[in-house]
Amino acid sequence: MRGSGRQRLADAVVGGCFIVALLVAWELAGDAGWISGYRFPVPSKLADAGWELATAGFPDGVTIWTHFVVTLARILQGFALALVTAIPLGILIGRVAILDWMTLPLITFARSIATLSLLPLVITWFGAGELAKVLLIAYGCFWVMLTQAIAAVKYVDPIYIRAAQTLETSQSDIFVRVILPAALPRMFAGARTALGVGFMVIVGAEMIGTVKGLGALVMEARRFYRTDLTIAGMVTIGLLGFGISIVLQWLERRLLPWSRGIEDVRRT
Amino acid sequence: MTASRITRVLCGATGVGFVLTLWEIAARSGLVSPETLPAPSHAIVATLRAVPPYDLLQDVAISLGRVAVGFAVGAALGVVIGIGAGWYRWFGALLRPLLELIRPIPPLAWIPMAIIWFGLGESSKVFVIVLGAFFPVVTNAYKGMLGIEPSLLRAAQTMGVRGVRLLLEVALPAALPDIAVGLRIGWGLSFGILVAAELIAADSGLGYLIMHARELDQIGVVIFGILAIGVANLVTDYAIGWLIKRGVGRWHAV
Repeated sequence: MRGSGRQRLADAVVGGCFIVALLVAWELAGDAGWISGYRFPVPSKLADAGWELATAGFPDGVTIWTHFVVTLARILQGFALALVTAIPLGILIGRVAILDWMTLPLITFARSIATLSLLPLVITWFGAGELAKVLLIAYGCFWVMLTQAIAAVKYVDPIYIRAAQTLETSQSDIFVRVILPAALPRMFAGARTALGVGFMVIVGAEMIGTVKGLGALVMEARRFYRTDLTIAGMVTIGLLGFGISIVLQWLERRLLPWSRGIEDVRRT
Repeated sequence: MTASRITRVLCGATGVGFVLTLWEIAARSGLVSPETLPAPSHAIVATLRAVPPYDLLQDVAISLGRVAVGFAVGAALGVVIGIGAGWYRWFGALLRPLLELIRPIPPLAWIPMAIIWFGLGESSKVFVIVLGAFFPVVTNAYKGMLGIEPSLLRAAQTMGVRGVRLLLEVALPAALPDIAVGLRIGWGLSFGILVAAELIAADSGLGYLIMHARELDQIGVVIFGILAIGVANLVTDYAIGWLIKRGVGRWHAV
């Protein structure tokens, strides 16, 4: 798009140096006492905090690995729950026009309900346990996935279907061999967005009734005035988010070689 | 309005009516206990009884105000930084990696640090909302700048448009559709974060209203509040979409 390989390398070096310079300045300013070590714990202290989380754990021996796995499991459970319900329903609604018209306002409204506003409701209904958290994440993922699944089936290029019909393909074959493969790229894009939404909700969901999970970790550490642990937890959440998007990109390339890429899908 | 459009609207109304009726019947017949899920009519009545209408309006106004302020600050920063990073090469090279590093951290994860940096008052809530609005806007503004048709810029240059004028009069309008998309996503995200932000020691706003109602076991008020936040989000989103269509849609299909 812009710039040659060499220019890009130069850009990356500039950006990297800027980050390193910031970190060094932060460390020096902290050591000199210009910024409060409590409000802005210096990088070296953050590294110690990371080590403490990995070995001793916080709170009470819960190591960062446990937090990480617990959070990841919650996200994946909620995400999976949303996918198995939203995709079949979306395919059905996308294929039957009258269902699509009937559900459109409902889905639009359900999407605009803030997932976190359901927090008090899920606590009342399901308690502050694991189920409430998973359902909250599932809700966030569900509507995005549903909307995209409907659109994916609805906007399959009619030429594909007509071409299959002229070859006297049976209805079920058209569905399995033409419509589904053509709809998959958009569905995958939907799943990606849905997972992103679920990820946004996780900290809110983990605010209730737990000390395990990365969201619980950052909140709990603040209550004990351990800002270094809070920031170390935030960095871990960021890494998790980054890792998830990398894995999804890789999966898409592997699973959907006929996809023209997310950008083209969005434009149709 | 064509016939098929009327059919669609009618179908949509039927769908909504169907769900509301089903809900009302389920709650009134005792299939679902009213303490679990009160009928919509009960939720409205219960809310009006428990919360004076004036207080309710005040909560709505306060919440909208928080979202609006946070969004305005976040969006303004996002537009300026995104455009700057797309236009001035060194600026982009300097800031992009830093932003990419911070972006995967969801805004809610900043809540504890927001409390430590800004205390329990209004500014910590707004800060979290600012983060929610900032990242979608900055990402889309940058993308919009990079996606500008180079021939547009070259054509303007041959006609003697240079420097800041080239940026403001040619590049900026060309990047507007992408910026508009970012603004709309940012607004939705700000709303999504509102409730969590209002969990920070709030004593007003819709988020506080529903959390407080849960403690008092006023489930009707909780449901009313959830729907009210949804309606506020939907209405403002349509308003922004309409503004965008009027402002940007003139020369672009959004």
